[in-house]
Amino acid sequence: MSEESKNNKNSENSKGFVLPGDLLETKSKPGKGIFRKDGRVYSSVVGYSNDRSGYVNVNAIKGRYTPKVGDKIVAVCAETGPSVWRMNIGSAFNSTLHHSESGWKVPFGDTARFLAIGDAVWAEVFMVDAAGTHQISLKKDDCRKLYSGTVVQVEPTAVPRVIGKQGSMITAIREKTNTRIQIGQNGFIWIDGKGEDISKAQKALETIDREASSEGLTKKIEKLLEK
Amino acid sequence: MAGQTDMELIKDGIRLDGRKPDELREVKITAGVLDNADGSCYLEWGNNKVYAGVFGPMECHPRHKQKADRAIVQARYTMAPFSVNDRKRPGLDRRSSEISYIASQAFEKVVMVEEFPKASIRVDMQVVEAHAGTRCAAITAASVALADAGIPMRDMIPACASGKVNDIVVLDLNKEEDNYGQADLPLAIIPSTGEVVLLQLDGHLSPEQFEEAMDLATSGCMDLYKIMRDALDKSYGGKK
Repeated sequence: MSEESKNNKNSENSKGFVLPGDLLETKSKPGKGIFRKDGRVYSSVVGYSNDRSGYVNVNAIKGRYTPKVGDKIVAVCAETGPSVWRMNIGSAFNSTLHHSESGWKVPFGDTARFLAIGDAVWAEVFMVDAAGTHQISLKKDDCRKLYSGTVVQVEPTAVPRVIGKQGSMITAIREKTNTRIQIGQNGFIWIDGKGEDISKAQKALETIDREASSEGLTKKIEKLLEK
Repeated sequence: MAGQTDMELIKDGIRLDGRKPDELREVKITAGVLDNADGSCYLEWGNNKVYAGVFGPMECHPRHKQKADRAIVQARYTMAPFSVNDRKRPGLDRRSSEISYIASQAFEKVVMVEEFPKASIRVDMQVVEAHAGTRCAAITAASVALADAGIPMRDMIPACASGKVNDIVVLDLNKEEDNYGQADLPLAIIPSTGEVVLLQLDGHLSPEQFEEAMDLATSGCMDLYKIMRDALDKSYGGKK
C-alpha cells in the first residue's frame, strides 16, 4: 500500500485518492461511488472521495454515464423502431425516445423520417427505473434535434472541467473558436461551426478529457486555442 | 508435474532463477495503457507478459445469458500463438475456456453486479508471453483493468500460485518448476475479507503441505495487492 492511500485509510480527510475496497472514515450518509458493509462505508471505485453537506461521495475517475432524471444530455440515434428511437447516450444501455415524447406527429412506422440513425438531439432524461432502463424526452425547455455539426465524446466525469468555474472554460472555447457548443451531462458534446473551427474545439475538448484532473487547465486551453 | 528432469530445481534453499522459496518474481503493472478499451492494464510478471482490457457494463449478448437482477461478467482468456515455444493454435481451447470460466466466476464475486441488471461486463485477457503462472497473471491484470474502467467493485483480486518442488513448498512457480515440479496451486483471494475466489490444485500435497502452500500463496497475493494498488496510484493518484 502506498503512503498516500495509507493516509486515506486512517485520516478523516475530506478529499483523497481512494481505490475499490478502501474504508472511508466518516459519519456522513453514503452517497455515490461507495458501498456499505457492517455499518461502515467503503469506496467502490478508483477516484477522489469528498465529504460534503452530510454525504460522503467518491467521484470516479472513469466510468460509464449513469442517467439521472432531469439531466440534459446529447443523444445519438442508434436504432429506429416503428414508434420509438433507441438512442445512444453513453450509458450501459441505449435509451428510449418514444414518439409521444418527441413533439413531432409521427405516423406509425415512419420514425426514420424525423430522426435517422446517427442524428443527434439535445434531450432530457425523464424516466429511470430500477431495472436500469431509461427514457429521454424532447418536450422539455430547449430540447430539440441538432442539425449539422458533430458530436464528440469525453468522459462523463470530465464534464465539470469542460464547463469550468461559472462556465469559464466553455465560454473561452466558444469565443476563441467561434462555434456553437452543447454539453451533455453524459459527456457527449455537440459542436457546430466551420470545419476548421470544429476541429480546433474538438482538439481542446480532447485535451481537457485527457488532463481532466490536472490544474490550471483553463489557461492551458486558452493558450492552445490562440495558436 | 508430469515431466522428468535431472535438473536440480532447488539447491541449498535457492531456486533456479536465484529466488528463495517464498519469493515472488518481479512484477510490473501499468494501468490504462489502451485507449480504445474502457479500462486496461499491462502486466509483466517474470517473463510473463499479459494485456487485459475491459468493456462495459453494456447490453448482454447473447440475450439468453442475461440475468434479470444482475450483470454477468464475461471473461475471456486467450494465449497468443507466439506466447509459447511450440506455436499455439489460436483461439479458445479446452484449457482457455476453463480459465475463462473460473475467472468470470471470480470476478462476479467482487464486481457489484447487482447495480447493472441485464448487463454484461466483458473482460479480455491476452497472454503475449507465457512462462508459467499465466492464469494468475491474467486475473491480476484484469482486476486492475476493471478498477481502471471505473466499474464499481468491492475489492480487487490478486492471484498467485504456490507449489511443491523437490518436496519443498515454494511460492510462484517458474516454467521449469511448473513443468518438473510436484504440485501447482493457483489461488485468488479478496484481500479485505480473505475470501477465496479461485483455488485449483494440480499434483500431490499432504494436508500439512497444503496448509503451508495456502499460507504462502495468500501472503504472495497480499504482496501482489500492494503492487496493484501502487500501479493505480501511480496512474491516477498523483493528479489533483
